[in-house]
Amino acid sequence: MAAPRAAVASAKQVTRQNFAEAVRELGAHLEACDYVAVAAQKTGAPTGWRRALPVDTAETAYLKAKLAAESFQPLQIAVCPFRLRSSSPSTLVAYPYNFHLFPRDELQLGMPSYSFSCQSSYLSTMANDGFDFNMCIYDGISYLSRVQESLARQKIFTPRPQQLLPSPSTSVSDSVFVNRIKSKILHWRKGYADPSKKDDGTLVSSLSRLILGGETYGSRPSMSIDVCSDRQVQLVLEAVNHISDDLVSLVVPHKAGAARSVRVIFTNSKEDKNLLLMDIQKLEDEQNFKFRGFREVIDLLSSSQKPIISYNCLNDMTMLHTKFIAPLPPNLHEFMCSLKMVFSNVVDINHLLRQIGPLRKAKNIQAALSYLQRQYFVPIEIEIPQQDGTSSVTKNEQNVLRITKLFAKLSNLLKISPECQLQSREQCTAVEEYCNIFYPSCVVEGSYDANFAIESDTTETVSTDNIIFLWGFREKSVKELKSYLIGLHQAFSEDFEVKLLDKTCSALIFRDSNTATQLLKEINSEGPSLNRFFSEGLKAAGFEVYRKVCRLGLWDSDLAEVLEDVSSELGVPTLPECSTSQIYWNSALMLDLKEYLEC
Amino acid sequence: MGHMVSRTPPIHQTKSSPTHRRVPSPLHPPATAAAMQMQGRLRRVLRAPPPRILLYHAISSPPNGGNGGGGGGGGGGCGSGVAVKQVTRGNMAEALEKLRGRVREAAFVGVDLEMSGVTSAPWRDTFELDRADVRYLKLRDSAERFAALQLGVCPFRWDPAKSAFVAQPHNFYIFPRKELPSDCSSHEFLCQTTSIDFLAKYQFDFNTCFREERMKMNFKEWRDVIVSKPMVDNHLSGNIKCCAGQFQTVFFKMRPAIMLNGFSSHQLKLIQQVLRKNFKDLVFVCTSGEDDTSEKKVVYSDTDEDRILLMKDVQEDLLKNREERVKSAIGIRHVIDLLSSERKLIVGHSCFLDIAQVYSKFVGPLPSSIKEFALSFHKIFPHIADTRHLMSVNQAVQKLMKHKSKSLSSAFSLLCPASYSSVEKPSSHPPVTIEVEGDETTSSCFISGAKHEAGYDAYMTGCIFAQLCAYLGIKFEQFSPLENLATNTKLHKHINFLSPSWNSGTVIDLSTGMERPEPGYMRRFPAAVYDNIIVIWGFPSKVRPKEIKDCICKVFGSGSVTTVFSIDSTAALVQFKKQESVNDFLDLKAVLERADSAISILHPLSTILEGGQTRAAKYDTYRDICSSSESKYLFADQAEAVCATSKNQLGENVDDNLISGVLDGVALASVTEGDGIISDSKNQDIADVTCHDILDALHDGKALLVRRM
Repeated sequence: MAAPRAAVASAKQVTRQNFAEAVRELGAHLEACDYVAVAAQKTGAPTGWRRALPVDTAETAYLKAKLAAESFQPLQIAVCPFRLRSSSPSTLVAYPYNFHLFPRDELQLGMPSYSFSCQSSYLSTMANDGFDFNMCIYDGISYLSRVQESLARQKIFTPRPQQLLPSPSTSVSDSVFVNRIKSKILHWRKGYADPSKKDDGTLVSSLSRLILGGETYGSRPSMSIDVCSDRQVQLVLEAVNHISDDLVSLVVPHKAGAARSVRVIFTNSKEDKNLLLMDIQKLEDEQNFKFRGFREVIDLLSSSQKPIISYNCLNDMTMLHTKFIAPLPPNLHEFMCSLKMVFSNVVDINHLLRQIGPLRKAKNIQAALSYLQRQYFVPIEIEIPQQDGTSSVTKNEQNVLRITKLFAKLSNLLKISPECQLQSREQCTAVEEYCNIFYPSCVVEGSYDANFAIESDTTETVSTDNIIFLWGFREKSVKELKSYLIGLHQAFSEDFEVKLLDKTCSALIFRDSNTATQLLKEINSEGPSLNRFFSEGLKAAGFEVYRKVCRLGLWDSDLAEVLEDVSSELGVPTLPECSTSQIYWNSALMLDLKEYLEC
Repeated sequence: MGHMVSRTPPIHQTKSSPTHRRVPSPLHPPATAAAMQMQGRLRRVLRAPPPRILLYHAISSPPNGGNGGGGGGGGGGCGSGVAVKQVTRGNMAEALEKLRGRVREAAFVGVDLEMSGVTSAPWRDTFELDRADVRYLKLRDSAERFAALQLGVCPFRWDPAKSAFVAQPHNFYIFPRKELPSDCSSHEFLCQTTSIDFLAKYQFDFNTCFREERMKMNFKEWRDVIVSKPMVDNHLSGNIKCCAGQFQTVFFKMRPAIMLNGFSSHQLKLIQQVLRKNFKDLVFVCTSGEDDTSEKKVVYSDTDEDRILLMKDVQEDLLKNREERVKSAIGIRHVIDLLSSERKLIVGHSCFLDIAQVYSKFVGPLPSSIKEFALSFHKIFPHIADTRHLMSVNQAVQKLMKHKSKSLSSAFSLLCPASYSSVEKPSSHPPVTIEVEGDETTSSCFISGAKHEAGYDAYMTGCIFAQLCAYLGIKFEQFSPLENLATNTKLHKHINFLSPSWNSGTVIDLSTGMERPEPGYMRRFPAAVYDNIIVIWGFPSKVRPKEIKDCICKVFGSGSVTTVFSIDSTAALVQFKKQESVNDFLDLKAVLERADSAISILHPLSTILEGGQTRAAKYDTYRDICSSSESKYLFADQAEAVCATSKNQLGENVDDNLISGVLDGVALASVTEGDGIISDSKNQDIADVTCHDILDALHDGKALLVRRM
């Protein structure tokens, strides 16, 4: 099996030196491929209770993903278009690219990112894995999100050529305008085009420039013609076209947006004109690189409409959205709608893993791969045609190739086929059926021990009504806490589970929602039966308080502290007014985007 | 663009101030948005290298490569050839010992810090208008949020024989690693993009900074060096081989052992069970190895006594390892401790933020007030001199520096003639000679200091200080090496005074914690009266400060607003002439928002109230917003976040007061008062709203309110 070799394969490294060329290649590969795998190397991940927890609902999990996406910075994004052919053995052809990013402020506008958070443990792990920070910071590609680009375009104006549109009928006033402009340009042009005047001294030429009202564009003479509407822009362009071939016109937008002028540039030969046009094109490319940068890749992915394969979808997609599209909306529903407009099909490997019974427990890609290798026979021939030949392989490249390989195997097992609709063979599923269902995983990235979670197999859905948040216990283990609680109130003699959320707070999950709500009521009314509970310094709150903490974005302190703050603020016991939602206890939760899009 | 690959220093090293730490020119025009201000500064620095430096570099020798040990030849201190000792973890212990001796001999020590950023949001920049407590809150935010990346320490020893100072610049790499599992305070830090990019422009080596950890615990690799020998216990290897292919045979504590790599936790448990049941002579040992990972081994030990001995050894090892981690977690703090314990004169340039960083990273959480901070810092470092402050106390220096940037590099090129040939003798003073002394034994740790790094900056600071002392009339020739420079009568009265920020216009005395105005500071804004200030945010982003002023003046009279200061595109501080206007404005705003009548649309204030998101509050709210641990990019977002979480819901409060106010007629009265100002000013524009209009509007609003209730 080619598996162990593939992990060593390296991707094409892309920095701002070779970006333009790489984008061109990537575009071609995207065209020819069925899927794109995406992985990112970020500067950190949330810790403590800010990670997605088993008690999170889809909504709170989204808020946590949003926090992570907004605070940490991707330093590398690996993109790997690949093709799968189900011959036997099936073949996988992959074209991995590893883009190095740095949010450099190319336009001096305070964008794309004013500052970002780093987690020192992340940075040291990266450093130990051979990550080149200098390369990243010196040569990383910058970017602007779509929203940032439109903001920047309002602030920075570059003259650009504009296409002459087929003009509708011209009115009398139009023709008056055109004639006036024509004569003005002709008069100005005569000053340069007339060969007899070539030998004028510098004084004369500068005087004539003064009189003719000309300016220069680079070394070439030019003049500006003020216009006050798009219609007039067209008329000027038309006039220029009629006069001579040696004139090039650029449309100059004005700061206010509305009023503009047209700049007419005189070139003295055909070659000179071509040279000028090339210069202008080059300038525009440079500008576009500053305005878009790496986002061009995202735009390519988006317009290619190929299914995107990723491992930590909720985290990666929120990151891509906030960095390259627009700021994240305040709730999941809006996010899903917005994401769908950019990437119509996103496949979470986590969701596919869940389709194969034992794999649902795989904690990371590595674990899933090694399980597949042991338990199933899925021969795949891997072909990576373009390789950089560098000896060191970063984690990020490894990851994207692992995702690619894992998806190839899974799609073989699950009989997912990209050309399903075309051939309509029996027993094959369209990839669309697995799309847009995300599992926010609680996995710590970077831990690669091939562990399987030793948890119960069943995924049960628990209502948020059944959950009570408990804090004020001093450093107790789950076991100690449970036995300690039993003595405190009769409610605790019933069946319940305890899970530590961070070092200060734990969640109690009751089998019976009545017990939980009843207990919460008593706690809120400080009933006498709970005297011992209170005298021990214990505090408790329902899910509403937690929801509010997440919604307010009080991420800065320990969970106990914020729950305390918010619950004392709510004061009076608030019965859950909000509709109760469900969490998927004992497993990572699942978000079905379709659900969110249809409501 | 796009050619930053070359790692050689640029020819025209613009040794202007690093914008992320010090603000160069007090002369630069007020920028409207703080972000633009930052950018502006950066561009200015990069665009305009001081022409003299260009000249100097053109005529001076090329940068002295790595091994420039043994003094910078003759006059020493010239820029690019200064050997700076680079200290990372590998040579930390050795460097520390030597440094201790050098600091002890030194007359003073130059210190500098490089950080990963300065402001977490544009509005966190310090403004001239900021009240002392607000300024401190901003400083504290910065010190707590960002990481220190390099610490420059440069002891200056007076050598009577050479009649010169001998400087030994050191550059310590700092990286906020998470050393101890329990310590979760320092593991996340912020990077400001412009600062990182700025450091990159000066070829800052981020890899050394972040990869530093590699140099740690090399001596521990002995374990891996003791290589395999045929396994003693054959049946064990056969037993486990079935679940894992290969393993490494090593010696552990002189006993043969195998490493257990790549087993799942479940498998490890199984192995333990099997060992306990079947192999009395094999012990399962778990030790902590490099990088926080735990190493599991199976060790062969033949007798019971040996086994007990082994377990004891392992226990001791664990303890030792933990101690080591504590020690290494202390890390760079040893340098700070050393500087503190020697009680030498510490010299920095514009170093208030630096000392706040040092305090926050190596001493403890920053106190809540600037006074407390000053006093507790003073206890640790009794003698601090700030060269920026010193430049302002001497007439001759002030004359020299007139209209010049007071940044470190600009001061260095002006004041340190050695680095400058004798083209322009700035004064009659003979310049103080400074030599640089390297450490020949390990030349590989030296990198030419022209890189704009902390070590070199510390050196420049010290050079400036030495020259400034000469201006103050201190004769180093009569100076005995043992004398404490800090107690020198000519210097004493300037020590422990420094500016809290470049634009505060004040100096703080660290020994008393009191702040006083800095003489000779040129204010750009009229002095602020904080009771007369309101903060407004959330108005439409197209509204300019001028328009805010105009529309408020239309209501409160033409002279009613002294200053409108833009915080960023979403917020501004408005200072009224009279204190009453503050409440009047807040009341009027609330009334206008409650009233749905046409007048609230036609009202002049609608310019800023448009959109319904506009909030206004008193200055204390501004302070509360600054004290929040949140840091949103836009002030309006920050303010909303703070108000949403704070218990007393600021915005609501204003409105509630108002409802009762309106019903009691209080608001009516106060607005009529405001109206009085209008008639006083006798400036009845056509656009001005008459007193009747406002009264009508109020009545409408009141009626509406009553109806609603």
